[in-house]
Amino acid sequence: MHHFMLANLLTEPVGVAHYMAVGAVLFVCGVLCMALKRNALGVLMGIELVLNGANLNFIAFGSRFLRGEGQGLGLDGPLMALFVIVLAAAEAAVALAIVLNFYNNYDSVDIDRADQLQG
Amino acid sequence: MGDGIYWPTFFFLLFSALACGFALAVVFSRNVVRMAFYLVMSLASTAGLFFLAGEDFVGAMQLMIYVGGTLVLLIFGVMLTSQKQFVEMKTPAGQWIVGLVTGCALVALLWMAAFETPQWQPISRAEAEAVAVQPTATPIGVALTNGRVDQLDQPDETLRGGMSSYLLPFEIVSVHLLVVLIGAAYLARAKRRSPSAAAPG
Amino acid sequence: MDSSWLPTLLALAWLTPLASFVFILFFGKHAGPHGRFAGTVATGAIVFSCVLSFVAMFGAWLPNNELPEAHHGDHAAGGDHDEHAEDGEHADEADHETFIRPAASPFLLASSGGDRGTISLVADTAEGEGDSAEHHIAPNGKPPAVYGVFYNLVTFGKLKLDISYYIDALTVTMFCVVTLIASCVHFYAIGYMHDELHEPYTDHEVTLTDGTHLVRKGRFYRFFQYLSLFCFSMLGIVIAGNLAMAFVFWELVGICSYFLIGFYIERHSASTAANKAFIVNRVGDFGMLIGMMALWSSLGTFAFGDTQNDQGEVTEPGMFSVLRTEENHYALAPTESMEVEGARVVGEGEEGESSHAGQWLLLIAGVGVFCGCVGKSAQFPLHVWLPDAMEGPTPVSALVHSATMVAAGVYLTGRVYPIFTPEALLVIAVIGCITLFVAATIAITALDIKRVLAYSTVSQLGYMMLALGIGGWSAGIFHLITHACFKGLLFMCSGSVIHAVHTNDMSYMGGLRKKMPITAYTMLVGCLAIIGAGIPTSMYGLSGYYSKDAIIEQAWSFAGANRGNPLLSILLIAPVIGAAITAFYMFRLWYMTFAGEPRDHHRYDHAHESPRVMTMPLVVLAVCAIAIGWSVPGTNLSITSLLEQAQPVGTTPGAEGVLAENLVVPAEQLSHVKAVKIPAGWAAFSAAAFGVLLATIIYLWRMLNPAEIRDSFKPLYAFLWNKWYFDELYDLIFVKPTHWISGLIAKFDRGIIDGIIHGTAATAKAAASIVSNVGDRTLVDGTVNAFANRTWDFGLMLRRLQTGSLRTYVLAIAMGTWITYMLVSFIMVARGTG
Repeated sequence: MHHFMLANLLTEPVGVAHYMAVGAVLFVCGVLCMALKRNALGVLMGIELVLNGANLNFIAFGSRFLRGEGQGLGLDGPLMALFVIVLAAAEAAVALAIVLNFYNNYDSVDIDRADQLQG
Repeated sequence: MGDGIYWPTFFFLLFSALACGFALAVVFSRNVVRMAFYLVMSLASTAGLFFLAGEDFVGAMQLMIYVGGTLVLLIFGVMLTSQKQFVEMKTPAGQWIVGLVTGCALVALLWMAAFETPQWQPISRAEAEAVAVQPTATPIGVALTNGRVDQLDQPDETLRGGMSSYLLPFEIVSVHLLVVLIGAAYLARAKRRSPSAAAPG
Repeated sequence: MDSSWLPTLLALAWLTPLASFVFILFFGKHAGPHGRFAGTVATGAIVFSCVLSFVAMFGAWLPNNELPEAHHGDHAAGGDHDEHAEDGEHADEADHETFIRPAASPFLLASSGGDRGTISLVADTAEGEGDSAEHHIAPNGKPPAVYGVFYNLVTFGKLKLDISYYIDALTVTMFCVVTLIASCVHFYAIGYMHDELHEPYTDHEVTLTDGTHLVRKGRFYRFFQYLSLFCFSMLGIVIAGNLAMAFVFWELVGICSYFLIGFYIERHSASTAANKAFIVNRVGDFGMLIGMMALWSSLGTFAFGDTQNDQGEVTEPGMFSVLRTEENHYALAPTESMEVEGARVVGEGEEGESSHAGQWLLLIAGVGVFCGCVGKSAQFPLHVWLPDAMEGPTPVSALVHSATMVAAGVYLTGRVYPIFTPEALLVIAVIGCITLFVAATIAITALDIKRVLAYSTVSQLGYMMLALGIGGWSAGIFHLITHACFKGLLFMCSGSVIHAVHTNDMSYMGGLRKKMPITAYTMLVGCLAIIGAGIPTSMYGLSGYYSKDAIIEQAWSFAGANRGNPLLSILLIAPVIGAAITAFYMFRLWYMTFAGEPRDHHRYDHAHESPRVMTMPLVVLAVCAIAIGWSVPGTNLSITSLLEQAQPVGTTPGAEGVLAENLVVPAEQLSHVKAVKIPAGWAAFSAAAFGVLLATIIYLWRMLNPAEIRDSFKPLYAFLWNKWYFDELYDLIFVKPTHWISGLIAKFDRGIIDGIIHGTAATAKAAASIVSNVGDRTLVDGTVNAFANRTWDFGLMLRRLQTGSLRTYVLAIAMGTWITYMLVSFIMVARGTG
């Protein structure tokens, strides 16, 4: 497993795996934000991070520079990424509206207070 | 065997360190205003990674829509709700432990999956340097209307034509955005306040 | 000196502590004021032993026995790196060609994909050679050893009981390690036991009925008397040339630990702890006796080595030679007599099918002998005595936990290693694995500084047993030796702290770094060594780095070789998780004791660094803890190469199960392949780093409040705080029933006649009530009610799952993903599709 060796880390190109590793970190950071932030806006930021982690993977799968000429997903990668970006924008708008509504009704952005579904 | 530093790798390391570092800062920061700032930095570094992968159009969109649009929206939200008691809220320590352990387990799993899949390993330096730089905006635009410049060699007739293009999803997303716009405006519009809730500033 | 000097030198080194014991026994009380010179005599004796051991090592052993090329080449930090690295390359190429069963992660996702076939060794070989069972590592012959008889005690028919010696590289190494650490402990004890020189001595822990403290005579000399006997017994086990002699000294070690743990015999806790240690060890020794009987009845000998006549011909072959004959290429095979004896136990096989009677007998013998080691080395069912054993004075704990008592179990397991069948090895590995995990979790919650260390000892012993059980003979023994150094160091540091603040409770410590810098930083070295600090995949690190990585590599290799049986990959997962937990509790201990603000200002103000006689041994051991894993620059002399020289006969190629068919114990050489070494090294490193980070976040930076965490995990905390309820369990299973049965018998005696008369009446009454109760109320009503109640309870339970909290749901999703993935990969591996 030569990719772990530090010696050739700077002289050789990186691969899809490295992009996925970064994507994994962003994804897990996002999940942790969603799980650990009590501020509803923190949760929204977590969602943005999760989407970005996924986006990074799409880009890596589509990139010719990472998998060589003619390999990989081709245009499907960046197109998916674009859709994700656009949908994230839409999601942010709606989620923000919900948060503002919640704030208006409860006078708080503490997500732990939104527990009406408790059994 | 390499000869000298391969600069794209250097910048990959730089940008990925920035992206991961700021993402971690988002998790560990308690102040929601700082979190928003770190998030901007993290997303901007991710855009840098997009550029490095050769997808400059997506990278530009990331900067414009995400960093320019979505985050401004979020920061508006932060400002609208930033009463003192919400700027810093504490999470119980037990949840931190559970969260961190779960997170580390998940990262370990994903890394293992990433690095043990043979198809995802790096290509050689010669191969990487042989890849030609191509424009990316035009092919994406064409794919959104109805053609795939990267599928011209596709032997299957249907795939070469419309099947693999993105006209329909593009339309759906357009309508979706419109709906969202209206919906968000409807949800967030000023309502008569219920008498029980105290008036915010 | 030629090697004929070895027995003389080592026997002298072995008997000197005995002489010291005898001297102190008769004259100790009168040697100087309050027996002060007893300490000098005992220390002098053990230092003399130590010198003799090193003379034996460098003067008589090394010149006569050439060291093999170290396979841990990458680990050797000597002056000849390049050469080593090249050798490593060669070995790796050879591995590519010859070794089958490439070790791989048990979670390997896509070894079938391989369109870029060059990626890993795994992809290359997993398909090509599949499960073919042969491999090309030649089994090793007998390691160089000197065997002989000092004195024939008695001969009963065939049974000869000898005082004999069996000296190989392991014996000599153990002599050096044991005497070195014992010397440090002796010096340290002179300082630590200083209070005992006061006449009279007041024991503040013991309160008499009239409210005063116990006042008694000082027992300084007696302490050293026991220490000398302890060292003598331990060295006796190490030099022993046959199992019977080892057993005798085994028991002597037991009785010495009884004396020393119960040194403060007036304290109730100390006398109970001593009893507990002794009794629990008897349980294990019972198993050991069974094992010895099985061996003797079928082999007729206990000797480790072969008796030779003057012409060099073998007249009486020892146990190992009988079981692993040269004609059989040193593979383990039960003898004719074993088949016969075994058939009396398991019966003859079916027509044309072997009943494996000999294998079963060997398994019984192996597991039996291992039972003794379970008791001595505090392995899982019998681990309860060791944490209580810290009731003894701290130097004793240091000695018991590092070089003597508990080391004896691992040493004996390593010594009789050739008789273990793969199934017996599996038992050893599983016991070790359970031990290391259970003990590590208990150490998380302990507040008593010595208790944390005690559980960490149990956990590390589990690592050693695990390593031995999965085929890592030198990894396990190597860890025994490195562990002896750093655990001795850690215990003596804790003793130094206790000496300064007069309490064991870490919640009264804190900030002591400034008051006692030598103790603090030597202890930090010990902590770093025990978590295996080093630069991953390189050859630089503290001693624990080499040995712990070697164990994890072997576990990785084992899990790879047994991919058909995913349950066995727990033997890899547990030590990796255990490494994280180890790092967490060790640094928790260090931070709570030495970092931060003092929690008890009164104690802090009175704290002071210990006297020179106590800190010097700390420094010596700290140097050992750092460097004992290295090789001497310019040579290939290192502990690992010495251990490879002592590799037990026929064990290099690993083994394959006979009774358990799919079991494979991989050869230890396979764990040095890069494809194993690098991921295993990173796994060990990141686990330890995670543990240290968590401890730092909680106890140094104080970002999370420990008390809050404790409240969130209350049931788990209570479970760990009560040590998995082992003591309560044993009380319930063994102690209570004994009381109960004896009470029952007493009642039976007294009440038998009344019982019969009353019983007759009661029976008639009961019969009537059964009809009404059982028939109607219980059976009919009960069923309906029970059904309704269960449904109601289940509903209530489900209701609690629905917390309505968004964040809990997110966590549950993340955890669920992880668990699902793990389950699926387990199932895929189990069905052979992974």
